[in-house]
Amino acid sequence: MTDASLHKKGKSLLALDARTKKRNAAEARFKGYGIAAIAVSLFFLVALLVTIISNGVPAFTQTYVNVAVTLDAAKLDKNGNRDIDDIKKVSTFGYKPLINAALVDAVAGIETELSDKDVGKILSASAPAVVRDYVIANPDQIGETVAFRLLTSSRVDGYMKGRVVREDLARDKNLDAAHLDLIDVMVGQGSVERVFNWDFVLGADASESRPEQAGIGVSMLGSFFMMLVVLILALPIGVAASIYLEEFAPQNRFTDLIEVNISNLAAVPSIVFGILGLAVFIQFAHLPQSAPIVGGLTLTLMTLPTIVISTRASLKSVPPSIRDAALGVGASKMQAVFHHVLPLAMPGILTGTIIGLAQALGETAPLLLIGMVGYIATNYPDGVASGFLDPNSAMPAQIYEWAKRADPAFYERAWGGIIVLLLFLLTMNLIAIILRRRFERRW
Amino acid sequence: MEDMIQMDRAMSTQQDIKIRANGVQVYYGENHAIKDVSVEIQDKTVTAFIGPSGCGKSTFLRCINRMNDTIDICRVTGDIRIDDEDIYDPRVDPVQLRAKVGMVFQKPNPFPKSIYDNVAYGPKIHGLAASKADLDEIVEKALRRGAIWDEVKDRLHAPGTGLSGGQQQRLCIARAIATEPEVLLMDEPCSALDPIATAQVEELIDELRQNYSVVIVTHSMQQAARVSQRTAFFHLGNLVEYADTDKIFTNPEDPRTESYISGRIG
Amino acid sequence: MIRQVRVAQSGMAGDQMSNAMILLIVLGLGAVGYFLGRRRALAKVGGDPRGLHSLPRYYGANVAMNAVVPALVLLVGWLIIQPIVINSAVSGMIPESAVSEGSSISLLMSDVRRVADGLDAAVSQGVMTEAEALRLDEDAVKEALAGVGVALGADVTAETLAAAQRYREMAGTGNVLKAIVIIGAALIGFAVAFGRTTPDFRARNVVERGVMMVLIAAASIAILTTLGIVLSLIFNTVEFFRLYPASQFFFSLSWNPSFSGRGGGSELGILPLLWGTLYISFIALLVAVPIGLFAAIYLSEYASKSVRSVAKPLLELLAGIPTIVYGLFALLTVGPLLVQVFGDDGALGVDWMQGGTAVMTAGLVMGIMLIPFVSSLSDDIINAVPQAMRDGSLGLGATHSETVRQVILPAALPGIVGAILLAASRAIGETMIVVLGAGAAARLSMNPFDAMTTVTAKIVSQLTGDSDFASPEALVAFALGISLFVITLGLNVIAMMIVRKYREQYE
Repeated sequence: MTDASLHKKGKSLLALDARTKKRNAAEARFKGYGIAAIAVSLFFLVALLVTIISNGVPAFTQTYVNVAVTLDAAKLDKNGNRDIDDIKKVSTFGYKPLINAALVDAVAGIETELSDKDVGKILSASAPAVVRDYVIANPDQIGETVAFRLLTSSRVDGYMKGRVVREDLARDKNLDAAHLDLIDVMVGQGSVERVFNWDFVLGADASESRPEQAGIGVSMLGSFFMMLVVLILALPIGVAASIYLEEFAPQNRFTDLIEVNISNLAAVPSIVFGILGLAVFIQFAHLPQSAPIVGGLTLTLMTLPTIVISTRASLKSVPPSIRDAALGVGASKMQAVFHHVLPLAMPGILTGTIIGLAQALGETAPLLLIGMVGYIATNYPDGVASGFLDPNSAMPAQIYEWAKRADPAFYERAWGGIIVLLLFLLTMNLIAIILRRRFERRW
Repeated sequence: MEDMIQMDRAMSTQQDIKIRANGVQVYYGENHAIKDVSVEIQDKTVTAFIGPSGCGKSTFLRCINRMNDTIDICRVTGDIRIDDEDIYDPRVDPVQLRAKVGMVFQKPNPFPKSIYDNVAYGPKIHGLAASKADLDEIVEKALRRGAIWDEVKDRLHAPGTGLSGGQQQRLCIARAIATEPEVLLMDEPCSALDPIATAQVEELIDELRQNYSVVIVTHSMQQAARVSQRTAFFHLGNLVEYADTDKIFTNPEDPRTESYISGRIG
Repeated sequence: MIRQVRVAQSGMAGDQMSNAMILLIVLGLGAVGYFLGRRRALAKVGGDPRGLHSLPRYYGANVAMNAVVPALVLLVGWLIIQPIVINSAVSGMIPESAVSEGSSISLLMSDVRRVADGLDAAVSQGVMTEAEALRLDEDAVKEALAGVGVALGADVTAETLAAAQRYREMAGTGNVLKAIVIIGAALIGFAVAFGRTTPDFRARNVVERGVMMVLIAAASIAILTTLGIVLSLIFNTVEFFRLYPASQFFFSLSWNPSFSGRGGGSELGILPLLWGTLYISFIALLVAVPIGLFAAIYLSEYASKSVRSVAKPLLELLAGIPTIVYGLFALLTVGPLLVQVFGDDGALGVDWMQGGTAVMTAGLVMGIMLIPFVSSLSDDIINAVPQAMRDGSLGLGATHSETVRQVILPAALPGIVGAILLAASRAIGETMIVVLGAGAAARLSMNPFDAMTTVTAKIVSQLTGDSDFASPEALVAFALGISLFVITLGLNVIAMMIVRKYREQYE
């Protein structure tokens, strides 16, 4: 034993040689790059989410003024007979002075250098319409003093949210620093307050000059109808195509052609599907522009490859023994597939479909080309047919529309819209994950 | 007991002990794969590990160059010494260890590189060659020792994956030799080969005995009998019997060994 | 009441009502057929289904199928062919001379359709009777149609009105014929199948053959979609090259479309757009490939199970975020941030960047978007390298990083190249990020902080807005689209070939 180590050519294992040290340093460096890459990716993710949330959350609250407006009968119903047609003749211009007067009354105790006429600038341009709608709905209230909660202008709202500061207003003709002093006092009094903004979630888009009024509700419906079209068409077609390809298709040129087409379509840029939608559904088939049905059809074609690929994967995961068992008791091939294979593959198919739908829900580019952007979604569709056929926007298109507008107040809406959109996507993906966990089978 | 010690001493005077394992236990998660194995492996000898599949012979082999480190759930306790140095000592770098203890795998696994680069890979990473000429020499020597030089010398830059199965395995042996190891571990090196290729590799193993301590895991008792001088029989994670190959195959002490040799278990 | 008027207002909706009626009748026939066929089959064997070749419901389904399917195929075919036939017949009525300067036959035809639809609407709303509609002269048309909410741009000429009347007449006859033919087809199918319902009839086989046809048709939609894409791109591109020289489009170094109305003088060269596209994609890949690749290497080679189970879904989260979000992130966050660093008065004191929208902005954000794409593809590819390769290398005493760099990556190289090509194709086809983040000016510049524009962004800008659809300024979008399609398709095909070959190597 003593001479055992003498004739060994090797060095001791216990001491690291210089080269190994160097190699270990390289190893650590390399691993460091990997960790750095993960860290950078996660940093981007966090930065993105923080940006979205910090910019978007303010959209969910809105600043209102509580003001009691006297609905002067002499101005609103000159004939005094409460005839609804006469009342309707009074335009919003007729309401403006009433509201202004009410506001001046409300701030009477506060010292301000503003003229009575200028005080009204803290209100949104939508205020007269709100009061008018109320009066038309409740003509019996004319002559009474009614408490209204009216939107403030987007500048005031921005001030409350810290987006607008006094220095910004130096060259702003819409609002003065004096208005902000007034607001400060009114906040103290409780007549100006920020509350949760249901109108943003459920409401309609507004014109370019009224960011405070804009909501994503109508385009949400547009998205909903589009997704309905996608679901109704893409699921059955996708499943039928997958069943054919996976269970019945013979090995021939035609099958190869379909396979090649599907894998290529999955990688075609989405904007190309927009061109297809424009050329085929609008130019050729004369379907109405901007309508959810066109968007739905276009997105269906875009989503089909995704659904086919995932459906085929879940059909493939059903073991052949199930088919053999069915065929063994004398079922036809078709019966074996529809009675046994398809039900077993269903959870997988649904998961794939939901993920496909989520993808379609967030897709914007094709919608630009079929006219779902630029359309101001101010009206709710009045019924199912109208939901499919009348022009509408969709959530991502609405977000894009807001992002393009000049007033920075719309950016807040765009980020808020993104939060809504992401919540939908998150829910859909969660459902898909739960479905998968619940029904996943290991054969 | 006295006899054993005496026999041991007799052996070690003829032949040095290269690897000394003492009380080795291996766990795969909950599974106790190796149960208290102690064994002494001699230098310049071919030692065969035999036993039915799942008996732990490969697992134990992989402990000797710490390849089990690459498996997350694997845990090794006990003491394995090469040249009296504990290879599981925290100061030991598995990288240096593996340069000293080469390994050949069940399935030939040449890298998707040229034949030359396959063999040069080890020397390059360990910095064994000072110059290109040096490297060429190392590669040629390794290929010659791997008994494959004549077959590939004209196409050193063809891909190693293009060789036949037996050639690939000899290339892998040459690749392992090129780093000048002191121990060569072989994990069923012939199980993926046809009989002719097997014969070539077995011949090679016998030659390698001149310079290395070779440990070979094999399924085939005939192979163990053909190539090894010492044989260890593993069963259900235990080392049942370890003795000269002749003794194991002609006069086993343990009834389990006898059952396996005669084909009753396994 | 209000709803009805509204639906009748558009000719589109009116058409659909009658189509819906036909559809309903056909489906009704199918439903009736199912029950009658099933009953007849059972009746023939005295109520004992064992005497039948197939289950009773297959006999019902056979009748229903024969009634519905041919009729529906006919209906779809009719809906496609009728407008084409009428269009060509009517456009033949419009003399060359009626096509004024700067207009086209297709524009005139859309006027004709508008007038015809308007007259239909007027009649259906009861504004005028059918007879009045036929007698209407060209001066009264505009006014009459304005009354029902159809606004006409130019004055209606006599030719247009005559064509519109002819259009209405043909459409009317067509619709009546359509109803007769299709319901007739349904009835014939019904009768034939019903007559064939005998106990020996192999109803199941026939129904299954029918179902198979439906399955094949569904699978063929993929081909039809591709065909639709290719045809719509080609037709419009040919139209574009008729108005604008192809050589100019491919080789001109400037992109400067005049807005329609001023007419002519547009420079529509694709090269500046291609340059912007490639530059942005290049920067995106510069960001995404190293980060994505190293992330994949770390996750598949180093990370412990718990790290992987957290980091992987988080990375995938990055992939699930819609591109519009990235676009907004580029426009509102990254752009201004970059200006603060590289702009005038920026942190670096260099004046490289004029505005927030720039190649760098779009490229950076697109790179972030592509990280998960690259990493998940690379992850798959690295995992496909057999464990034996790793063992072989580690067994020789290589460190893990040496194994990765010198054995795994070279082995995975073809696959990774394929993945990078796929990512490049993604980057080239990406729209929202560049529309919002890259700028609108076409420019051939080397400065990555300049605003540039891309093929996709210009497809959007040329096809949105009020541009005349027949003008070269709008049609150029299709030529851009086909270029984009060819480039991305080429990249995809090459990438998939490489990846497939790579996979086969280890199977």
